[in-house]
Amino acid sequence: MSFLSLVKVEHQKVRRSKIFLILILAAVILWIPSVLNADLNFGMQAVGISPENSFFIQGFMAMAWFLFPAAMVVITVLQTQTERNDHGILKMLSLPVGTAKLCMAKFAVLVSFSAVQVLMSVGMYYISAAAASHTQGYAFCLPPLFVFKEACMMWASAIPMLAFFWLLAVCIRTPVFSIGIGLASIVPSVLMINTKVWFAYPMAYPFFVTASEYGKLAANLETAPVRLIPWLPAAALITAVCLIISCLCFGQAERR
Amino acid sequence: MSTMNLIRLELKKIKRTGFLPAFLGGGILAAAVPAVNTAFRPELFAGLSAPPVSILLGANWQMMSMLNVLLIVAGACVLYHIEYADNAMRKMSTLPVRESSLFFGKAAVLILAGVLLLAIEAVSVFGCSIYWFSRAAAPSAGILKSFGFFLLMLIPAALLSLALASACRNLWTSLGIGVVCVFAATMIPAQRFALTLFPFAMPFQMPVNHTGDVIRNYAIAAAAETIVISLSEVIILKVRRIFA
Amino acid sequence: MNIIETQGLTKSYGGFTAVSGINLHIPQGSVYGFLGPNGAGKSTTMKMFLGLTKPTGGSFVIDGMRFPDSRVQILKEIGSLIEAPSFYGNLTGEENLDIIRRILGLPRSSVSEALETVGLTPHRKQLAKKYSLGMKQRLGLAGALIGRPPILILDEPTNGLDPVGIHEIRTLIRSLPQRFACTVLVSSHLLSEIELMADHIGILNHGRLLFEGTPDALKRDATFQGYPTDNLEDTFLALIDADNRQRGGAR
Repeated sequence: MSFLSLVKVEHQKVRRSKIFLILILAAVILWIPSVLNADLNFGMQAVGISPENSFFIQGFMAMAWFLFPAAMVVITVLQTQTERNDHGILKMLSLPVGTAKLCMAKFAVLVSFSAVQVLMSVGMYYISAAAASHTQGYAFCLPPLFVFKEACMMWASAIPMLAFFWLLAVCIRTPVFSIGIGLASIVPSVLMINTKVWFAYPMAYPFFVTASEYGKLAANLETAPVRLIPWLPAAALITAVCLIISCLCFGQAERR
Repeated sequence: MSTMNLIRLELKKIKRTGFLPAFLGGGILAAAVPAVNTAFRPELFAGLSAPPVSILLGANWQMMSMLNVLLIVAGACVLYHIEYADNAMRKMSTLPVRESSLFFGKAAVLILAGVLLLAIEAVSVFGCSIYWFSRAAAPSAGILKSFGFFLLMLIPAALLSLALASACRNLWTSLGIGVVCVFAATMIPAQRFALTLFPFAMPFQMPVNHTGDVIRNYAIAAAAETIVISLSEVIILKVRRIFA
Repeated sequence: MNIIETQGLTKSYGGFTAVSGINLHIPQGSVYGFLGPNGAGKSTTMKMFLGLTKPTGGSFVIDGMRFPDSRVQILKEIGSLIEAPSFYGNLTGEENLDIIRRILGLPRSSVSEALETVGLTPHRKQLAKKYSLGMKQRLGLAGALIGRPPILILDEPTNGLDPVGIHEIRTLIRSLPQRFACTVLVSSHLLSEIELMADHIGILNHGRLLFEGTPDALKRDATFQGYPTDNLEDTFLALIDADNRQRGGAR
């Protein structure tokens, strides 16, 4: 069976899980404060950022620092609990499909959900930017090409983090630990982005990348630029190690 | 069934769920925040003139409270997950025990876990202030007052996350909603007092930032929220039973 | 020819031996009844055949292949129902089977065929978590039968079914070798049930194989050893009882 159809099967499994509702709720909650406090964007002369850029990047930074990673932890919980609730995993393991392939298909689903979350946030951004434009009498909407570029960068930089969360979900079977470690690991990313070794901490990637974009948009603000070396090799290594270990661990507990 | 028995029962149920080790670990992690932060740049903090406890909490409480709230949310989800996962809830609802007592038993366990978290953190803050700010006398009274306030602020959040968890059969639904609520709390601007009364936003409040009046208002709000959430949960459980 | 053969197959968990050096011979095209009281090691043995648990000793061959080298190849040939039925509660019966169908690469029609075979067609649009115990069991059975695999491993398939259902499923299992040209390994703790389905019987107690052969051979054996033979259930009980006594009264 092809990898793609296995991914399709994995998508089928999370039907009726209400996960889309949670992701939409997250996207809505993300932008409501931005609309309510839209007037604050006019007082950013000190940083040297235009109101429309400020409106956009502040929302995206809030998402990248906590909401987006936390929503991804929730999705890994959804994926593992769906398999465990009625022992669906036992049936899967007795079917002719490689366990590593199954594990990677699930990771692919996680990555696709992260894309959905980012797209939803972009959609909500335009709705709330339109609303803010209406209330403030100022055009807040940015060109789609720019917004999508920023969104794509954040999403792509999140993949190593997703691999780490997936490792936690697969290898730590006690829910309170996998959830707790996942959520707790997000919190220090505020500290990590200000250190020289930020590239060793995948949970900080999306926040670092977005914060660095903030620095580019704000004339008077100095933020650390994204240097591809040593970031890319470190990210690739972390992703590979996390995925290899998850593939090796996948289904082991059920096959004791 | 007596309250003590109820709590003992709930404590028994969390065996082998990793609940207590998770809170212990979380507490140690949060306690490490002020220690690590100060150890890296002692000169920055030691030069400040404010009382040591204010300096330490001012620099670290945001992160520490974030960890606390997230752990409380995750803990609440797991407390109800063990009821729903293998249909234990169905058994419980056929036994002569009120569903609301179940809720309050769990609430007691979660709040005790919160006490554990805060106690570990208080010890760390105490240690840090002695180690790096030895010029001051042992600031135990200030620490006790601050952490008493933190505990009071944590109770409404604990009750609300438990109420959410009791409403959702699926672990990810309650966790998802809880996480979004915590996020919403972090987005609330500190100057809007009414908004900061959102239960998930209260644990982020620090007494050192407020006057005695505001602190008293927060305490009253926390007590009121505790009562309101508890009563609502009792009513919701009753209604749910009628429509089940 | 034997489609499944084991040599000294053993599984221990710490100090506890669930399966102790058993040698099974399951002929192709037969219904092989795997019999034993609860906890005798039937499920563990079946799980080993599916690669769901690793043997700690001995080996086995399925259609000339071995784990773990030919895991996917072996699983392609086996349809299985193990212990409590495994399914996705948030999906309907039909969707659950569709997932299995996609993984096995079967045509769409195989889902409705499997539903029809186990009598679940009227409930196909219902969520699996709303199914009764018997319906869940039927869903598990449908998941095993889908695609007509050459080997079927069914662990207590009549669990949770009503008497009519038990009769129906029993008749179905009996007819499978002729209908689908397959081999069936079916477990039960009731000899009366196995007797009605199986051509070959293996009796397991505390992880050891007490007997393997045809029902007639079991009768002959039992007569020879002085056990009651008017009713095979009594024979089975006497056999287990004797073994337990020999093991020092352990039950």
